[in-house]
Formats: sequence, structure tokens, C-alpha cells
Amino acid sequence: MIERQLTLIMENKPGALARVVGLFHQRGYNIDSLHVDPIDDFTQYKFIEDELNIKFSMGEVSRLIIKTTVGDALMRQILRQINKLIEVIAVSDNESTYLKGILRDENLL
Amino acid sequence: MKLAGNDILIQSLINEGVEYIFGYPGGAALHIYDSIFQQKEMQHILVRHEQGATHAADGYARATGKPGVVMVTSGPGATNAITGIATAFMDSIPMVVISGQVQSHLIGTDAFQETDMIGISRPIVKHSFTVDHQSNIAQIIKEAFHIATSGRQGPVVIDIPKDLTNPDDLFDYEYPKEVNIRSYNPPLDPETSQIERVVEAILNANQPVIYAGGGTISSNASKELIELNSYINFPVTNTLMGLGVYPATDDKFLGMLGMHGTFQANMAMHNADLILAIGARFDDRITNTPDKFAPNAQIVHFDVDHSSVSKIIEADIAVFGQVKNSLQAINSLIKERLNDIDKSKIQKWHSQIAEWKNNHGLNHDLYKDESDIKPILPQAVVQHIYHASKGNAFVTSDVGQHQMFAAQYYHFDEPRKWINSGGLGTMGFGLPSAMGVKLAYPDEEVVCITGEGSIQMCIQELSTCSQYKLPIKIFNINNLSLGMVKQWQDMNYDGRHSSISYEDSLPDFKGLVESYGHIGIKITKNSELRDGIEKAFSIKDKLVFVDVYVDPNEHVYPMLVAPNGSLKDMWLSKGNKT
Repeated sequence: MIERQLTLIMENKPGALARVVGLFHQRGYNIDSLHVDPIDDFTQYKFIEDELNIKFSMGEVSRLIIKTTVGDALMRQILRQINKLIEVIAVSDNESTYLKGILRDENLL
Repeated sequence: MKLAGNDILIQSLINEGVEYIFGYPGGAALHIYDSIFQQKEMQHILVRHEQGATHAADGYARATGKPGVVMVTSGPGATNAITGIATAFMDSIPMVVISGQVQSHLIGTDAFQETDMIGISRPIVKHSFTVDHQSNIAQIIKEAFHIATSGRQGPVVIDIPKDLTNPDDLFDYEYPKEVNIRSYNPPLDPETSQIERVVEAILNANQPVIYAGGGTISSNASKELIELNSYINFPVTNTLMGLGVYPATDDKFLGMLGMHGTFQANMAMHNADLILAIGARFDDRITNTPDKFAPNAQIVHFDVDHSSVSKIIEADIAVFGQVKNSLQAINSLIKERLNDIDKSKIQKWHSQIAEWKNNHGLNHDLYKDESDIKPILPQAVVQHIYHASKGNAFVTSDVGQHQMFAAQYYHFDEPRKWINSGGLGTMGFGLPSAMGVKLAYPDEEVVCITGEGSIQMCIQELSTCSQYKLPIKIFNINNLSLGMVKQWQDMNYDGRHSSISYEDSLPDFKGLVESYGHIGIKITKNSELRDGIEKAFSIKDKLVFVDVYVDPNEHVYPMLVAPNGSLKDMWLSKGNKT
């Protein structure tokens, strides 16, 4: 068990954060820390815009950083469960990223 | 076109092709119900309890593959719908639930009939929406149906405050032609490299099993599965949710697997060297102790949901995509390799399975003993129903022993004919779900196999059946107790029967159903069973409720030994295990 960091890019909509937090409780995972803020500089995430063929505007998307202490198998399960949330655009742990539902073998976020 | 919020909502449902809305009106939904009154394209089915509405919509969805639609009011209307939403969620059934909400300015003030429906339902929905403006209603409906019916299907809740359905405020209406949710992209086609690996695994297997579940039905992939097996001739087992996706009367079918699976199905899984898991999720009623599950098997897992794969059992080859598309890809590749298939290779395996079946398979001839010396066996009731309905009825069930007997002894040859709450295990599901099926298929035989415990959980829907003239055939397998709980108390608690009996306070079911205008038949003796069941099926225009008194001491077998057992560890009869 080691502390890991997850990064999520998600739609900034009412209730979206509650879905992520609720999922941790529902599936029996614990959150060590949580940080959320709207993204105002998209430079780092231009690849997402390119990939989705869209242009983000201010206030439209949020970044969540969650720290949690779990083993490898559970980490993969958490990542996949979060990826299932409809409003999550991308989610990453240390090793892999789901971008709009498609798995990549590296941390892109 | 300019419409008010209530009309936009209803017109959107019409544009979505909805035939039936199952629901119950109330204060926060009054504007919507006024709009329902003024149209003719859809029929609203007034149930007697909102749980009945959700199960009826669920049964409709399972039988047709189309999403079920539910309309409830705020507060208790919404909370009463929760059990049915959770039932649909656990079995991945497409459903759209619209709940009225108190007026926007009252939200958060503990207003009359206010409850946080979005909050309460959050863990048991695929997604949910709160309507914030009338101009978004059509888009939200479009997205809700898209989400409910694509990828891994599931229920979607739409909560709409009363003021946003006010008939006096008009807005532009145009139903969206297409939908694109930028953060939602369920997989469709599998990766070719994975398909090639699966085909190699198939060609190399000596002791293979196909283990197909409800996802194969959701994906409408029965035809593709049967085609695949026409090339490779593998033994096939189905989960409780998958029954019918592969024809039960085919000689390669092993029966259901798992907790109450057949001896041959569980033995084949335990001893397999290759398991093709197709739209199935290795739940705990299937695997028994996961560490001891199929120790020598290579696992190939086909699923549309990434999070289902390697959740319980680590997959050696994962194939993400709609099961239908994945099986089509396998089929087209395997057709090029027909010369490489050595059918004799798995012949020994088929012989081994035949021996298991011969030694401890289910007895499908129990119904032939019609003597009155012994009480009626519940298994024989199901066998009689199977023969009397010529094996092609839609069968819904509730939860408990009768559900397992129905799954074991009714041979389902087609998908979507067996309708039961597999994941959540919801008592009360059988009757209302049968209503949904009967409305979808009025000319087909619809049977509900239930027990005297389960039927009383939604028995009020007998009234709905009489209002809409739904001639369902209900078979109440009456053992005067909560049979499955009693079985566990017999096996694990030295027969201490805690709170499982109500023998002296059961209603006279025949009299009860007749008070609703239905026909009741009471059967207490073996010699009356065949005629009674055949009589029920001969009555075409009336609901018939057959109350059959069965042996109260009967247990469901086989039954997996738990805890710490594997799939080869089974109770085969009272006091006798493998």
C-alpha cells in the first residue's frame, strides 16, 4: 500500500464532484486528500482539445487531484470506475491515463 | 415550434419512440400529467406503487431491449422508485426515470414532498440530470436515452422542478437529431490483436467452456454466440442472467452455473483449461472463493465495461467492446481457420462432462410422478409449467427457492424470455415485471413464477392487471415460509427457523385474486397438478393465479459449499456433498 495521486479532468457541472467523492465511499476506497479547481490555462491540456476536436472555454472544466493509499489492483479498479463516470473527460494515475474512455499506457495529466 | 416545459418533455419522449410510461402522478408532476392527458401517442400505465412502475418498465426493457420509461412525483414518489432503479442498475437494464421535484425556489427549504432524488439515487444510476432550464429539456432527454441504451446499459434519472414544466411559459422546441457527449465514449469494436490471441487460445484448448452472461443478451449477441459455437463445439454454460442466450435444449448446453448451478456446469468450469467469459462479470454467486476459482484456466473476458474485467478474476486476454461486435470479429477470423479446428481434441472433455451429467445431473422427469403419497415437489411444478407452456413463454420470477427452481428446470431456448432480478435479488419483482412484458407482447404467453413471500411484496399490482386487462399466468409456489432463508437456517443454523413463518396469517390467495376480478385456482395434491396448470393456460383472456401448496421441507440443490469452497465443492442433496 502506497500513497498515490490521481488527476481528473472533468466537466465543471453541478453534482459532478459529488459523483467522484460518492464513488470512493460506495466502492470502499478512502480519500487522503482532495483538491479541485477550475482550469483557466489550457496550455497543458491542449492535447485533450486536439483529441476531442473541441475548444475548452473558461470555467467549463475542472481539475481534481485526489490522493489515496491503496495497492496496485485496487488502484486499477479505482481508475476504471472513475473513467466510467459520464462527466469525466480524462483520468490518470502514475502509470496510465484514460482519455475519453480509451486507455493509454502513460501518465498524460 | 413553441412549447411549454411539460409539453417539451412529453413531446421529446414521443420523438424518442416511447410506447408506454409506467408511473404515478402527484403534486410536483401535475403539469407533466396534464400534458400526458392531451396526447395519444403514448399510453400511461397507472400502477399502484412506484416500485411496481420501475419493475414494469424494467420487465418491458428486458423483454424488448428498448428502454423502460418511468414517471414519478417528488418525495415519496421518488423514494418508492429507488428499489426498482437499483434492480435495473445491478442488471444493466436501460431505463429512464423522470421524477418531479418541488419548485426551484423551494429546493433546499424542506418543502412539502421535497427529497434530494439526485443524491439518493446517485450510487444506483448510470447517470442523472437535474433540469435547470426549459430550453435544456429536449437535449437532456436525448442524452438520457443515449446513455441508458449505449455501452453498459443502465438506469438514468431526470429530476425536473415543477416550475420548469409550467404550461404558461413557452420555449422553442426542436428535438435534437443526434447526440454527442464529449466525455462519454463507450467502446464498440474490439482490438484486432486481441481477437487474434483469442482465436489461438480457442484452437489450442483441450478443456474449454463458454461462460455467457446477461451482457450477451444486452448486446443482442445470441445469434453470434450460436454461430461461434457451430464452428468450435464448446460446452456452454449460462449465468442466471444469461439463460436463453444459448439454447437450453442444445446438447452442448450444461445448464446454469454457480451457487445453484448444475453439477456438470460447475465441474466443467473448475476443471477447464480455457474459459471464454462473454458478457459475464464473475460475481460471488459464480466464483465461490475467488482464489480457488478454475485453477488451471486461461481466462478470456469479453466485456463492454473496463471496470468489470479483472475486478474479481484476473483476465489473461481482455476484449473490450460490444460483445456482438467482438463475437462477429471472432467469427470472421475463425471461419478462415476452420481447417485448423481439431474437433477430436475436445472429444474426451465432452465425454467427461457427459459422465458428470449422468452421475449428478438434474432430474427433469420429476413431474411424471403424480401419486398423492408424497407432497407436491416445487421442481415438478416448474416442469409442468414448462411442458404446458410448450417451452416458449416469457417467464418472470421473484427471488428465492422458486426462482432457482425456475432457472434450473424451465429450458429457455431464446434470449429475453427469462426475466428475473439476478444482481439485486429483489422480491416483489415478478408480478410488475410480467405486466411490462405482457404490455410489450400482448399475444405471447407471460408467466410469473413466484412464492407466497415474494408475491406479497408487490401484490397491489393485481389491481393494475385488472385495470389494463393483462392475462398473466401467476404460479405461486407456496411452501408456507420464506424457503431460501429457511434452507440456510436448516444448513447453517441447526434448523433454528428465525422469522420465516406466517402460516396462520397467509391470505386465501384464491379469494384474494377473485376480489380483483381474476381467476384463482388452488392446488394441494399431486394428482390435481397437471390439470390445474393446463386449465390455467387454457384461459386466454383472464389473469389466472394458481396457488400450489408444495413440500415445505424441500431444498434447492446443487448448492455450493461456502465459505472457502471452490466450484467443485457442492451439496448435492441433504447431508450429501461432493
